[in-house]
Amino acid sequence: MNKSIFLIIFFLFTILITVAQEKGFKPIENSTELRNDLNALTANSSTIQSDFVQEKHLSFLSENIISKGKFAFKNPDLLRWEYTEPFNYIIVFNDKSILINDDGKISSFDTQSNKMFSEINNMMVGTIQGSLFNDSERFNVKYFESEKQYLLELEPKMAEMKSMLKTIKIFIDKTDNSVASIKMIETSEDYTKINFLNRKLNQPIDITKFQLQ
Amino acid sequence: MIYYAFHNPKIKNRYSLRILVLIILLFIAGCSNPYKKLTKVENPEKDTRIIPYSLPLSDKTIIYKADITFYKNNFGGLLVIKKIEEKKFRIALTTQFGLKIFDFELNHGKLNVVFCIDQLNKELIIKTFEEDFNLLLLQQDFEKIFKLKNTELNQRIWQLNSGKTSTYYIQNNESTSIDYISKRKRNSEKISVGLRNYKNDLPGEINLQHHNIKLKMNLKLIQ
Repeated sequence: MNKSIFLIIFFLFTILITVAQEKGFKPIENSTELRNDLNALTANSSTIQSDFVQEKHLSFLSENIISKGKFAFKNPDLLRWEYTEPFNYIIVFNDKSILINDDGKISSFDTQSNKMFSEINNMMVGTIQGSLFNDSERFNVKYFESEKQYLLELEPKMAEMKSMLKTIKIFIDKTDNSVASIKMIETSEDYTKINFLNRKLNQPIDITKFQLQ
Repeated sequence: MIYYAFHNPKIKNRYSLRILVLIILLFIAGCSNPYKKLTKVENPEKDTRIIPYSLPLSDKTIIYKADITFYKNNFGGLLVIKKIEEKKFRIALTTQFGLKIFDFELNHGKLNVVFCIDQLNKELIIKTFEEDFNLLLLQQDFEKIFKLKNTELNQRIWQLNSGKTSTYYIQNNESTSIDYISKRKRNSEKISVGLRNYKNDLPGEINLQHHNIKLKMNLKLIQ
């Protein structure tokens, strides 16, 4: 009798642990080596270009909402997201401002004067570079790995970000240590997953890509 | 001249009177209700399904590209509308990056907040969204429903009455669905909604505008 209760509790725990963790990933005991590798890679990535597919999961919908586009990053802080589906929308982050081209309508925001935008800017650049894990002021970080990927789980510490996001998961391919996908999980468990496809490292990018006229 | 006029009591009074008359005339003109003179017939059943408006009837996931201007603030993204069951909807707005701005449940005309960013989670703003989505999804409570006809403009009109508020759903004769919604309180227009370019029974473009506060919502159909 006692034995069966013990077994049931044991199984419940195992299920709980598997649910809490991303499938196929186990914690990394010593993350120093991984952190060093990623830091070296970040320092060596002068540009990144990629296509992306974004899936938005809302609990009340049976199907995810899909958006697609292209993104470009130039070290240290130039970032361009171009959505081509379901409609044209370009957002460019640079050192001082955020520029938006919304189906032809161009607007700009000063990141210095807008805390929310500056947070988004830091997060986006940090996520793409994978360097967000160094930001111990803003995030608690846990490290996991599977056969093919590393997983960094970031839990926001700041109240503003905490009210919107519960966890940011960054999946990194072991083959080239590049970010394969990011998953932003909201407090409600709804999430956004962005998959990066056709990644190109250190190919030249025209600087005008980071200007909008 | 102006100085003289305002310091001569006779002229001053005459001027003030004229200005007052002008203001009253403007006020009356501004408040005149274009639907008041039309003959109306009350529908015996309190049923909104007599209105040819299919947006609230669709079971599909409806997605609009949203552009909302509230005073000097502008925000937008994807507005998702999903009918869960009869008289129960979920309405969520997410940014391009997918982050949710709000997630509401509209249940029998009552708006419940599932999630809302702090900047918008204020009673007055939530009440405004409740009013807007009730108008768009034809969920507001009413006491009487009337059918009107404007032969001059070739319009068929349905009027919902609730206390001092009247809401008009207007269909131009060449159209197969509702082209304009107008919510009026004590004869002045409070909210107006233009609906255009219908695709598969859903309005391709929706322009909602408040007339007493600076709030505009422009929606473009994606799916």
